[in-house]
Amino acid sequence: MILLQSPSRFLLQTLSNRVQNLEKGVELDCNSVEFDDVRYHIQVSMRYPQFVLLSMSLPTPPPETVFIGGLPYGAIDAIKAAYGVLVQILDPPRDGFNLTMKFNLSKLPPDEEQRQAILVKIASVREVVLGAPIRLILKHLASRTVAPNVDRLVALVHRPMESFFLVPQAEKVTVVLPMRFKDSIDTVLATSFLQEFVAARRTTGLNNAPPCSWSPSPPLELKGAPAQALSVNAGFVTFVIFPRHVEGKKLDRTVWSLSTFRAYVSYHVKCSEGFMHTRMRRRVESLILALDRAKPDVEKSRKAANSRSFKRLSLKGNPG
Amino acid sequence: MANTLRSYLACIRNTLEAAMCLQNFPCQEVERHNKPEVELKTSSELLLNPVLICRNEAEKCLIETSINSLRISIKVKQADELENILTKKFLRFLSMRAEAFQVLRRKPVQGYDISFLITNYHCEDMQKHKLIDFIVQFMEDIDKEISELKMSVNTRGRLVATEFLKQFV
Repeated sequence: MILLQSPSRFLLQTLSNRVQNLEKGVELDCNSVEFDDVRYHIQVSMRYPQFVLLSMSLPTPPPETVFIGGLPYGAIDAIKAAYGVLVQILDPPRDGFNLTMKFNLSKLPPDEEQRQAILVKIASVREVVLGAPIRLILKHLASRTVAPNVDRLVALVHRPMESFFLVPQAEKVTVVLPMRFKDSIDTVLATSFLQEFVAARRTTGLNNAPPCSWSPSPPLELKGAPAQALSVNAGFVTFVIFPRHVEGKKLDRTVWSLSTFRAYVSYHVKCSEGFMHTRMRRRVESLILALDRAKPDVEKSRKAANSRSFKRLSLKGNPG
Repeated sequence: MANTLRSYLACIRNTLEAAMCLQNFPCQEVERHNKPEVELKTSSELLLNPVLICRNEAEKCLIETSINSLRISIKVKQADELENILTKKFLRFLSMRAEAFQVLRRKPVQGYDISFLITNYHCEDMQKHKLIDFIVQFMEDIDKEISELKMSVNTRGRLVATEFLKQFV
């Protein structure tokens, strides 16, 4: 798997399981964390097996982002538009979570295929909730307009206490992602990965992809952004999104990949570290073998000792 | 480039062959102790002149000899930050497994990346020329491994980036 998939596997499996045995009442209470920032809690009670309570805890927003009632701008509308009659948003949400939704599974469509599509949509709740503001901006881009009530520089949360920035314009939207990593090794690997993005963009066949640049210092677009948002250790990545990148079905993909860009890079950094460890372990083995070659042959001397004892035995059994 | 590497390694090999004439030598200060003199450095008459072999500024090898022990410290070339991190990671990985390597020192000498300590007991247990083979092979392998690791990181980065950008096309 190279690209991250938008439906959460954990949610999808739990929900499909539930739907398959809808009449059987079970007690279910599970927690799961995705990409080290979003926490899910899913609960089903014995008495009402058709109701599923899904709670979501979002990363803590930094001060520059707009959060209304603990949710990103436009999230409630996005949830209603995506799930329709199935969902009921509970207010206030469960303790320690930003959002609690009550899904009525008995209202699922009877057709198997449609039902599966809706379950996948529910499992992609991250894209719906966290991607809501960026989707709004990109939708305006598709119709080549700028939303009337939007700032010049929009900050959106993508990590706890970290945000990324969008500069919406009529013909293009510039997305600037400040990249931070905790570990020094992660930082170096991520930096070299990010430079590969710039190099890969220049290759033929990707001429229509969004122009991509990387710089260690804040780009001009970020003028006026708060200082703590500009302290990074792996530089800034800038993508320029044109209307052709958000046409029709492409919009979903674009929203998802931009809002999970950091998770994507971080995931591959960890993968390549794992790969390096496998390699190093193999190399250590081969070096130990090389050192063992320096030791005089233990096998041979043991064999010699055996043959001597064998001889001695045969002498004993043969008197005279 | 390959030629300078060969002469660098040949020089190290010859120096090691000359330096590795170790004998059992009990400690002069403390009775019934037998310690590697090159680590203690208490009596100057037991130490020989250290030899420093440099390929260039960044790549060098220090060979310190005493009557019963020999210390080899290696500095590996690190052209950029990525190589630096990879070298650090790989050598730390090796140092943590020093038990398995007997002759490997847990901590490198200051200013170097990795150190070996060979005592007269190691020379008695193992064949001397093969021990030298091991050290030389080790140096070759480290260079090779680090450049391969770097290549694999870059290849992966390129693939990851291409796949990501392909989504938009």
